[in-house]
Amino acid sequence: MKTSGSSRWFLGAALALVAIAGPADAQDYKLGYVTDLSGPLAGSYTPTWQGFELYMKALNGRGGVGDRKVKLFLDDDGLRADRAVASVKKQTERDGVLGIFGLSLSSTQAAVIAEMTKAGVPVVSTFSAIFDALPPANRYYFSTGVLFEVAGEAIAELSRQITPKGKVVGMTFDSVGGRAALRHNKAIAESLGYAWDEVVFPVRTSDFSPFAQSVAAMKPDIVVGHYGAEQNLGVIPALRQAGYDGPYVIASYGASEETAKAAAERAGSGKNIYLVSRYAPPTEDVPGMKAVKAAAKQYGVDHPTIMHVTGWVLAKFAAEALAKCGANCTRESLDKTMQTLSVETEGLSGGSIQMSGQDHYGPTYWRLYRWDNDRLVGVGEWLKKLGLKSSVK
Amino acid sequence: METIVSILGLGTTYALLAAGLVILYKASRVVNFAHGELAIVGGYVFYSTSLVWHGNALAGAIASTVISVVFGLVIYLSLMRRLVGEATYVAAMVTIGLSIILKALIVIVWRSQSLGLPLGRETIYTFQGGGRVAAIDAVTVGVGVVFFILLSIFFRYARLGRQFRGAAENALLASQRQVNVNLILGFAWALAVFSACLAGVLYGSRSMLAPQSTIIGINGLTAALVGGLDSVRGAALGGLLVAAAIFVTARTIDPALSDAVPFVILLIVMTLRPWGLFGTQEELDRV
Repeated sequence: MKTSGSSRWFLGAALALVAIAGPADAQDYKLGYVTDLSGPLAGSYTPTWQGFELYMKALNGRGGVGDRKVKLFLDDDGLRADRAVASVKKQTERDGVLGIFGLSLSSTQAAVIAEMTKAGVPVVSTFSAIFDALPPANRYYFSTGVLFEVAGEAIAELSRQITPKGKVVGMTFDSVGGRAALRHNKAIAESLGYAWDEVVFPVRTSDFSPFAQSVAAMKPDIVVGHYGAEQNLGVIPALRQAGYDGPYVIASYGASEETAKAAAERAGSGKNIYLVSRYAPPTEDVPGMKAVKAAAKQYGVDHPTIMHVTGWVLAKFAAEALAKCGANCTRESLDKTMQTLSVETEGLSGGSIQMSGQDHYGPTYWRLYRWDNDRLVGVGEWLKKLGLKSSVK
Repeated sequence: METIVSILGLGTTYALLAAGLVILYKASRVVNFAHGELAIVGGYVFYSTSLVWHGNALAGAIASTVISVVFGLVIYLSLMRRLVGEATYVAAMVTIGLSIILKALIVIVWRSQSLGLPLGRETIYTFQGGGRVAAIDAVTVGVGVVFFILLSIFFRYARLGRQFRGAAENALLASQRQVNVNLILGFAWALAVFSACLAGVLYGSRSMLAPQSTIIGINGLTAALVGGLDSVRGAALGGLLVAAAIFVTARTIDPALSDAVPFVILLIVMTLRPWGLFGTQEELDRV
């Protein structure tokens, strides 16, 4: 694995060793997985990888895909584009993987997708996605995750279940994805009759009190946070301290019930904390969750979260693509298979994942949850989103 | 009221960081570029040691104090001692290396986990008229005031403190007068790492601990430079100035610019008064 001399080299090397431990059988299906396991968003991406791995362990425990095991190759990009590209090149050129899964933030994805498109290797991202999956989709790029623009619109529509009118204040850090989510949230919120205001703070912020005080001074009826789990942990207590006790919506960019729980503890109350998610939390009693919980118990994952479910569904997508692709599966045929693939989520989301030639994201389903003492409780039904409503750029 | 209290809270954290930088600079002419990392690692150490004692914050505080002092001595004895007499940029480069190692430690030991320390963040006092004060802000300001008072008393009245000042003025002369300069330098590192740890624990309680939190080291350095690299009094004022600048920018100009404002202040001060607000003018030659 090509790495710089940074401090994260050690962990990266250790992970690479884990990945190559145990020789792959010639009959194994080989899949690559690259994500941020040591960078700023490792807390969000690590459980997603664990969910992916969990599904594959359970699958291999049952004999694999058509009696062939699935061998995984894992690399850590540390949220750096150069490391992500080096990792996928290593996995495709040396390890011989059929496809690349996972990926981290959008800032690393563009470079990876460009490289893999040249090499003809299909890439499927979760949980963050970029525009290339929407029609007209990049041929080799798919996503089962959260596309910021779509999420922004879904959150705006689901806000009606909190309060049908008033003022929404959107918060994000100064990033491409965050600003994109904010733009689409704003466009739909305003079309629904909400007043809108926003606060964008620097990416490397870790003391949120000045921004929280600005938000509180805007007298919002709803505050939406478009950033990762880590920022929510700082923003929610700061907002409460600044005097804003109203509804706060956590966008599902790596945030889970663990985020809501920790933020509630730090803020002194979990009241009025909401979360919008593309996938269901493990506390939901749906058919697909039984398999998640059984595998978590069998393979020692103590507290599976929405992020584990997100990774699990991605793995299910990969496994069903391999099964449909058949024994002589190649990168080319795997890509073709994915272009028409439909995967039933068994309640893990509001509906199935359906790809088509032009749309590599398909219909997505979003649900509002409220933090209620010690768990997320669904508010209303799943919202189905088909692409984008707003044409705002 | 919330804004003033928040400025005081954040400013005290930066002042503690700046004080550590000043202590080290006064003693050894070394600018420590690992100070932010030392602070955040100190916060993580407090978190882990508290867990060992089932969430007992007092036990965690005692343990992390001991660990920070010992770690400061270890840094001096293993890394910095052999650089005495070398050009100061060599020592500065070593501290940059140290910062990289400490960042790796956050990844390997604490898995880049983002967390808040439980020292009163959730307790908020509401006053008549609507003012709100978080207990942690009051604790932070109180701890900062006590730290600076004790530091002043130490430098003014304690024998070791007077020797420290003497060694800072002229190490060669001090050593000829039987002052143990190695002891002074070791003590400076121990005290600096302790103040960084204190800042990290307080910062982790009022904000959060995360790999990106190490950025506070830059704000602490800015505070030290604005106040004057050899002035403890300047460190206190510099910390408050930097925090005030961040808040005023975020509240009245543009939140996205709040990161840059401390550097604007730094540029202004460095242009008009390069030795800082309270620094010694002759220090400039040594820098």
